[in-house]
Amino acid sequence: MNKNYFILFGLLIVLSGGLLFLPEKTNYVQQSPESLMWDIVQPTRYISTDQVAKLIIEKDPLFQLVDVRPDYDFEAFSLPNSFNIPIDSILTDEANDIFNIEDVNTIFLSDDDIKADQAWVIAKRMGYKSVYVMKGGLNCWIRTIIQPQKPSESAPITEFELYNFRKGASIYFTGAELSTNSDIKQEVNITRKKKETVAEGGC
Amino acid sequence: MGPLIPLGQISSGWDFIIALIIGIAFGFILEASGFSSSRNITGVFYGYNFVVLRFFFTAVIVAMIGLEYFDYMGWIDLNMIYILPTYLSPMIVGAIIMGVGFIIGGFCPGTSYTAIAIGKLDAIVFTLGLFLGIFIFSEIFPYIEDFYYSGNMGNITISEVLGISNKLFTFIFVIIAVIAFYVTWLIEKKVRKTINPYKFE
Repeated sequence: MNKNYFILFGLLIVLSGGLLFLPEKTNYVQQSPESLMWDIVQPTRYISTDQVAKLIIEKDPLFQLVDVRPDYDFEAFSLPNSFNIPIDSILTDEANDIFNIEDVNTIFLSDDDIKADQAWVIAKRMGYKSVYVMKGGLNCWIRTIIQPQKPSESAPITEFELYNFRKGASIYFTGAELSTNSDIKQEVNITRKKKETVAEGGC
Repeated sequence: MGPLIPLGQISSGWDFIIALIIGIAFGFILEASGFSSSRNITGVFYGYNFVVLRFFFTAVIVAMIGLEYFDYMGWIDLNMIYILPTYLSPMIVGAIIMGVGFIIGGFCPGTSYTAIAIGKLDAIVFTLGLFLGIFIFSEIFPYIEDFYYSGNMGNITISEVLGISNKLFTFIFVIIAVIAFYVTWLIEKKVRKTINPYKFE
């Protein structure tokens, strides 16, 4: 056999053996600063608590909730079907497996926006595209979904519709029974003028 | 950086253009390596010519080592590479049918086209048989569909089954390949009366 073949054999063995001695390194396809800045200013990266409630109620399979609070907070209270990945565990393989599920959008949530926002930035830098933040966090969830405030009499009809949805969602999530208030008077033919812009949520 | 199409570096509309260019290069290399001759191909089975084994082993180990280094350098993300799902028992049956066809016909589908390109009559007959086989398979598919999709093991790799790292598996595979190169050379030297080794220039 030609000695050149032995040189090639040796080269292949050295190259493949060299792989075993490479130090551990994780390569993420990192997002460029310009692109990250563009994404950060987009309001579309936020999802309101009403939208999240709707996704949970409709059991939408294309979304998953990731709660980034510490595990003791998660055990005390959490949203249905949410995963707990504390923010300091966001770079682990376990977290990577959850973010990597194909065609599934990830919504981060925490007590407020701060930790969820931090998780969002880290996930973006790691190259995950379909990540969102639940606007206002669980504080806003309690305020809007669990204990919704009845709008004032002069509020536009859309706010009443939103209130009705939240009331229904509250019953869904807390298991509370629907209370019928016998004092409610029958409202007849009241047409309220719609406001030009309607503030949604309030968080 | 890569893979280029899934990461949007190259738009997916280029799929077929890239496939065509790679296909032409593949066909050219197959022909240039002597795979348009069915004697070269069936030689593996009869034990006098192992060029097929060496050719494909070389291609596989060069690709394995290259991809591992590319992954390490961050030039390609191996997690994004599509891995065909493994259907174990249908694949074993398919491999046996393919192997028998290989020995009887003297070609595999790819090499039969390179042989047609240089005008080989046996390759034309082989390709007609190939289309006949595709037709028969399509006709009987509803009856074998359950078996065809049975034993799905998912998108697994050998290193996952063995529980070792891709890098270690690459190293082991290279050692096996180098041993195979040397042993097949010894067999050829013993079996073949005339052997014309490639001359490095």
